[in-house]
Amino acid sequence: MFDQLLIGGLATGCIYAVVGLGFTLVYRTLRMVNFAQGQVFMVGAFLGLSIAQRVHLPVLPLLFVVGAVAFALGMVLERLVFRRLYHNHEVFVVGSIGLGIVLTNAVRVFFPEPVPFPKVFGSHVVQIGTARFQEAYFWVVVSTLVLVVLLHAMFAYTRGGRALRAVAADAEIAGTVGVNVNRAIALTFGLSFAVAAIAGVLIGPLYFVSFDMGDMVGLKAFSAAVFGGINSIPGTILGGLVIGVLENLAGGYISSAYKDLVAFVILLIMLIWRPTGLLGRDTPVKV
Amino acid sequence: MKMQKLVRAVGVAGCIAMAIPAVAQDIKLGVVAGMSGPGTSYGIGIKQGAEMAVKEINAAGGVKGRKIALVIVDDASNPAQSVTSMERLVNEPVDLVVGGWGSSQVLANMDVAERAGLPYIVVGATNPKITTDKNKWTFRVIFTDAVQAEQIADAAVKRLGMKRIAVIHDANDYGVGNRDVFLASLKKIGVEPVAVVSYQSADKDFTAQLSRIREANPDGVAIFGTIPAAPAIMNQARDLGIKARFIGTGGLANENLMTLAPKASEGTVLTTYFHEDADAQAKAWADRYVKEFSGSSQPPRPVLAAWEYRAIKYIAAPCLESSGTNKDKLRQCIASWKGNLFSVPGEAYFDKTGQLIQQSVLVEVGKGAFQAFKGK
Repeated sequence: MFDQLLIGGLATGCIYAVVGLGFTLVYRTLRMVNFAQGQVFMVGAFLGLSIAQRVHLPVLPLLFVVGAVAFALGMVLERLVFRRLYHNHEVFVVGSIGLGIVLTNAVRVFFPEPVPFPKVFGSHVVQIGTARFQEAYFWVVVSTLVLVVLLHAMFAYTRGGRALRAVAADAEIAGTVGVNVNRAIALTFGLSFAVAAIAGVLIGPLYFVSFDMGDMVGLKAFSAAVFGGINSIPGTILGGLVIGVLENLAGGYISSAYKDLVAFVILLIMLIWRPTGLLGRDTPVKV
Repeated sequence: MKMQKLVRAVGVAGCIAMAIPAVAQDIKLGVVAGMSGPGTSYGIGIKQGAEMAVKEINAAGGVKGRKIALVIVDDASNPAQSVTSMERLVNEPVDLVVGGWGSSQVLANMDVAERAGLPYIVVGATNPKITTDKNKWTFRVIFTDAVQAEQIADAAVKRLGMKRIAVIHDANDYGVGNRDVFLASLKKIGVEPVAVVSYQSADKDFTAQLSRIREANPDGVAIFGTIPAAPAIMNQARDLGIKARFIGTGGLANENLMTLAPKASEGTVLTTYFHEDADAQAKAWADRYVKEFSGSSQPPRPVLAAWEYRAIKYIAAPCLESSGTNKDKLRQCIASWKGNLFSVPGEAYFDKTGQLIQQSVLVEVGKGAFQAFKGK
C-alpha cells in the first residue's frame, strides 16, 4: 500500500508543482498572485480534449499545441485584462478571481457535465511490486521533469530568459537598460498559462475533465508555491511533491475524509515557522 | 408560465366551444417542480409525466365528466422559491398537488400544503424526514434512501453471495445516510464490512481510499455516491486491480455512469426508481412516453416522469373519482390506497406516515445499459 500511495502522491504532487509554477512565474515578475491559475489549468484540459477529439495527435505534439495555444491566450489576456489590473495588488487579486469565475462559466456553457478524456497516454497498467499504475502517471512525472529542465535552461541560457529575470529583479532598472518590460510581463503570463494548461492535459486522461476541476487544484498549487517559497522555482516543485505525497499518505493511513485538510495544515505550520517558505527568500523592501 | 396560460386558455376555449350551460367545473391539479436551475432535467420529466397522464384521462372523458386542468409552477429548484410556488397553488386554488423535486424544496414547501390542508403527493424527493408521523396531508410515492440501502444490503448477501463487502461513500447527507442504513442492515444479516472509507463530493483521485479497500480484499464494493465520483471510483478501482463487483443505490441510477465508466461499470447491481424492463406494462408505457416527447427541446427523462404519471393516473384520479374534490375525503382516500403499479413488483400501499411501501427495482449494468437484474 505504501508504494501505491507514494507514487500516486508523487504524480499528483507533480501536477500541483507545475500549476504552482504558474503562480511562481507571475509572482517573481510582478509580486502579485494570479488566482485564475487553477482555472487556466482547467481550460488547458478542455483545450486538449477539444483538440484530441478532432485530430488524432501523438502525445508530444498534443502537449506542444496546447502549450502554444495557452501561451497565446495568456499573452492576449495580459494585454486585455491583466495589464489594466496590476497597478494595484488588491485590484489584481480580485480581478484574477473574477477572471477565474468567467473562465469556469464559459467552459460550463459548453460542457455542463463531466466528460471522459481520450486515453492519449495509452491505457496500460504498469505493476511495480504490489502497486499498479496507469501509464499516464509516468507521463505526468516525466513531463514535469522535462518542463522544469526546459524552464531552467530558458531562464539561465537564453536572452529572453535573462530579460525576464532582470525584470523580476528590478523592473525599473531593467527598463532603463533596454529591456522591454511590458513584453517581458506578457511573456511571463504566456509561460504561466502554458505550463498550467499542459498540466491540465497531463491529468485529463487520469480523471474526467469538468469545469470545476481547477478550483481545488488551484488552491493546492498555490499552497505548494507558498510552502516552497513563492519566489523560488525549486521551492514550488518541492512544495508540490511534499503536499501531493503527504495528503495521499494521510488519506490512506489516517482518514480519507481529512485528505484535503492535510495540505492546508502543512501550509499553516509552514507559514508560522517560515513565512517566506522552505526555499524562499525575503525580498527586501526598497525605500 | 406559458404552459399554465396555455392550459387555462385551452380549458376556457373548451368550455365555450361546448357551450353546455351546466358544465361541471374543471378539477385543478397543481404540479410544482424545478423546471429551471439544477433540477431542470428532473423537473422536465415530472412535467411531461403530468401532461401525459392528464391528456389520457381527459381523452377518456375525464373524472366523472369533469376535465382535469393542470396548473404547473416552476420553483427554480430553490427551496425559498418553492414555498412561494406552493402558496400560488394554494391560492389558485388547486384541488391537490402531485409533484415536488429535491428534498430541500419539498421539506420547505410541504409545510405550506400542511397548513392549508391541501393533499400533496411527492414524487421526486427521497429524504426520510419528509414522511414522518407529523405530516397529515403529504404523501410520497418514491421510496426513501433508507429503503434502497436496506434492499441492496439484502441482495448483496443473499442474491449475489457477497461475504467480504467494502463500502466507499460520499461524506454528504446522501452518502452517510445510505452508509448508516446499509451497515445496520448488514449487521442484521450477520455480515461485517471489511472496510469503510469516505470521500468528498469534489474529489478526483480515489487511490488512497481504494488502496485501503484493496488491502481488505473484498468480493463486493458498495458505492454510495453520485456522478461523476462514482464512475471515477469504478475506473480507478479496476486500474488498481480490484476485481470485486460494484453495488449501489439510486445515486448511480444515471445513464452517464456508463458513459464515464464504460468498462468498469459493467456488472454493477443497483436499486432504481423505475425500469422499463421490469414488466410488459412498464415497457409499453416507456415506449409511448419516449415516442410522445422525443424531438421536443427537452429529451424524455423516464425515471421521474413514470412516478408522476403513475401517481396521477393510478392514485390521484381514482381517488378524485370516488371522493370528489372534498380535500379531507381525498386525503383519506389516498391514505388508504393500495394497488398495483407498473414496474413495481407486488402490491403497494401507504403506511401511517404517508410513505408508499413497495419493493424497489434491482437493475444490473450490462452492455452499456441498465438491464433488469436477472440474478437468483
